[in-house]
Amino acid sequence: MKTPEAEISRSFDVHSRTLDNGLQVLLVENPAIPAIAINATVLTGARYEPESKAGLAIMASNLLDEGTTTRSSFDIAAAIEATGGHLETDASFERVVAAATVLKQDVDLGLELVADLLINPIFPEDYVSKEKSRTLAEIASAKDRPQVVAGWALNELIYDTHPLHRPAQGYPETIERITRDDLVQFHGQFFAPNNAILSVVGDFKIDEILARIEKRFGEWNNRPVRLSAIPKPVRQKDRREKFIPMAAQQSNIYLGHLGIERTNPDFYPLQVLDTILGGGAGFTARIPQRLRDELGLAYTTFASITTTAGIDPGRFVAYIATAPENTKLATEGLLNEIRRIVDEPVSREELQDAKDFLTGSFVFAFESSAQIARFLIQARIYDLGFDYGQKYPALIKSTTAEDIARVAGRYLDTENYSLTVSGPMEKR
Amino acid sequence: MSVRVDSSTFSGEVVRRTVLDNGLTVLTRELHTSPIVTAMIWYRVGSRNEELGQTGKSHFLEHMLFKGTDRFKKGAIDLLTLKNGGNNNAFTSHDFTAYYFNFASDRWEIALDIEADRMVNCVFAPEEFEAEKKVVIEELRMGLDSPWGLLLQELDAAAYKVHPYRNPVIGWLHDVERATSVEQQEYYRRHYHPGNAVLVLAGDFETDRIVDKVSEKFSTIPKRPTAPDVSAIEPSQRGEKRLQVQWRSKVPRLGLAYHAPEIAHPDSYALQVLNLVLTEGKTSRLYQRLVEREQSVTFASAEYAESKDPTLFHIRAEARGDHTAEEIEASIHEELDRIVNEGATTQELDRSKHLVQAHFILSRERAVDQAMLLGQVEALYGLSYIETYLDKISSIAPEDVASVCSKYLTAANRTVGYLIPDGSANDDAEEGDYEDA
Repeated sequence: MKTPEAEISRSFDVHSRTLDNGLQVLLVENPAIPAIAINATVLTGARYEPESKAGLAIMASNLLDEGTTTRSSFDIAAAIEATGGHLETDASFERVVAAATVLKQDVDLGLELVADLLINPIFPEDYVSKEKSRTLAEIASAKDRPQVVAGWALNELIYDTHPLHRPAQGYPETIERITRDDLVQFHGQFFAPNNAILSVVGDFKIDEILARIEKRFGEWNNRPVRLSAIPKPVRQKDRREKFIPMAAQQSNIYLGHLGIERTNPDFYPLQVLDTILGGGAGFTARIPQRLRDELGLAYTTFASITTTAGIDPGRFVAYIATAPENTKLATEGLLNEIRRIVDEPVSREELQDAKDFLTGSFVFAFESSAQIARFLIQARIYDLGFDYGQKYPALIKSTTAEDIARVAGRYLDTENYSLTVSGPMEKR
Repeated sequence: MSVRVDSSTFSGEVVRRTVLDNGLTVLTRELHTSPIVTAMIWYRVGSRNEELGQTGKSHFLEHMLFKGTDRFKKGAIDLLTLKNGGNNNAFTSHDFTAYYFNFASDRWEIALDIEADRMVNCVFAPEEFEAEKKVVIEELRMGLDSPWGLLLQELDAAAYKVHPYRNPVIGWLHDVERATSVEQQEYYRRHYHPGNAVLVLAGDFETDRIVDKVSEKFSTIPKRPTAPDVSAIEPSQRGEKRLQVQWRSKVPRLGLAYHAPEIAHPDSYALQVLNLVLTEGKTSRLYQRLVEREQSVTFASAEYAESKDPTLFHIRAEARGDHTAEEIEASIHEELDRIVNEGATTQELDRSKHLVQAHFILSRERAVDQAMLLGQVEALYGLSYIETYLDKISSIAPEDVASVCSKYLTAANRTVGYLIPDGSANDDAEEGDYEDA
């Protein structure tokens, strides 16, 4: 019997090509089902938008499918919905994505729509004003959720003036300021084939799909794109706190500080640390085991430093939602577990279990064509290499208890951190 | 070993159905797309089986199934999942409780060991029960901090008079607080046995080999009688019901609930198409009307889920800007009237059929999605439901959609709930001036 690691090797059998206009194309044949996943990623995002126009990148991505030079908003929706496929656009701090999953026979339509959205959006004036009012309403709705409120507040404390301090959706006052011209300019500045990656995974033959891609994306004109350098955020050297009163059933508590970039070589020992401290399977990690299973303080509690690692440093966060009267106990509980992993070596068994979990669950990241397509984009952005399938298990397996102690001491801080709490409070 | 073996096909794929002598139904579906196996066990017990004053029992039981047996002590199930690089979870609904493991395909056997053991050997240590009660109560509170969690709970409680679907799956707080380990254990013995369970295996295995293993591990569990079924029948509603739920938000939200039939009722297929026509995708009726034209909502959605007993067809929407719940509700009623008068268009029906067909094909990619589909259908009704499903959906005509809309989505058959501000919402918090309550 082949090992699962060997069986997912097809995910790394990548055909890579750069079109004449500079578009990087990454292809994997996956005939598992008669469907195809398309992911087109533009290397821009909320980190490049001006502070005064926060929310611009997400708004631009939401408007890509609201009208192009060749199709109306309704035509775009009607075309994809008639096939039963999905078409979606999304943005984060570092990417703007147009993605589709279509049945095999609809691949031309899928490629055509994705190309049209990226190349020819017109940001119609009436849709810009609709999108602004919808975003304002969504921000108001999100403020009803105590976890969101505490999470946003934590970013403000951790990132200070770095773009990641903002909610990616922006603030009501910055949304109000965005105009159609801003959106057109944002598109003109960043959307170019030489600043984009296209991954396509599914039931096709390489030669045949390349011809189809060339037809849809080959006419996209390249131009120089300048990505401004953003000063690196600095990890805090003090303690910061914010308490936000809300009439809620629970206190939502976030505790953390600046984390790491995805390209940091310590990402892998820190993934092992995350598994031992606050992740893993079920409630095996120290934080859920102690705070949920033993003390019954919470239904949801976790900690992680690697899940938010990106081009910019992510956050180390520990989270718990608990009854308001347990706020202090729960906060202390989180801190105790962080202190313990910094101060004491992890046991041989915990280390082995965490490594077995990470290497054994690696297969789940490559289950669908859409997942493989997303992986290809990340592999290119973070330079993971298409031999990642062999490299990853080795990087995890080589982690030692000394590595965990070293990275815990270096990347976790139990004195200088930010703490945010949303929930019922009494005025002093 | 097994008394009955049938095979069933849907979308041209073979599902084998085996029934062991002790009554355990086993569904196996080979899927070699990824080196992964999902093992999912479904028990036909959920909040519909709970008695007055004891709501939440089925869900609490789901938590207790991770709390240890003689063989797998507390924490051992998660630890074995970790060591084997898998993941596990569980969920409870009105009609069933399900547990699953996903493992790489060279190590699925452990899932069978755990499920066979915890079907009958959970220990219910009173201290573990009390500790877990705190966790369940935190889960319940978390739900009440969600606007939709609260509104839908109150809406359903008002819509039903007698049927236990009126109770939240997680239970009412005071019932959960008073739950005892002894009652919980008795409930477990009554509902957890082979004849009340469906084990679904989907993924990268050889069927004969895995069925042999299932037989080896489960056939020693004794057969037990199935508990008598719940007999409450919801009487017809005799006029519109309306309610207001006070909450801290300033954002108005509304929910409508119409009594609608159970799974595989002849009208259920047209209602599912109606659901797609109303809110699926940007071309849907309520999206075009409320999001595009009137710009009165951030979203509008409809839900009509398969269920064992007659259920509710829900429509909900979240207001934006200065738009009111009343105004949004009026537009929804107008759109429903339009369907009653004009029916659905042929484009809408074609689109719905393609959506359902594509969904079937895409669900074949991941083992866990297959196990979810097969288990739910078998637990609620039987595999014949999916064998005929595509044909039934394809046979829906425009007038069928109009007909179910006029039959079920009527004023007298609906309950309407508004979430309204309780006056406590504050715009922005002041910093630092507060301490814990």
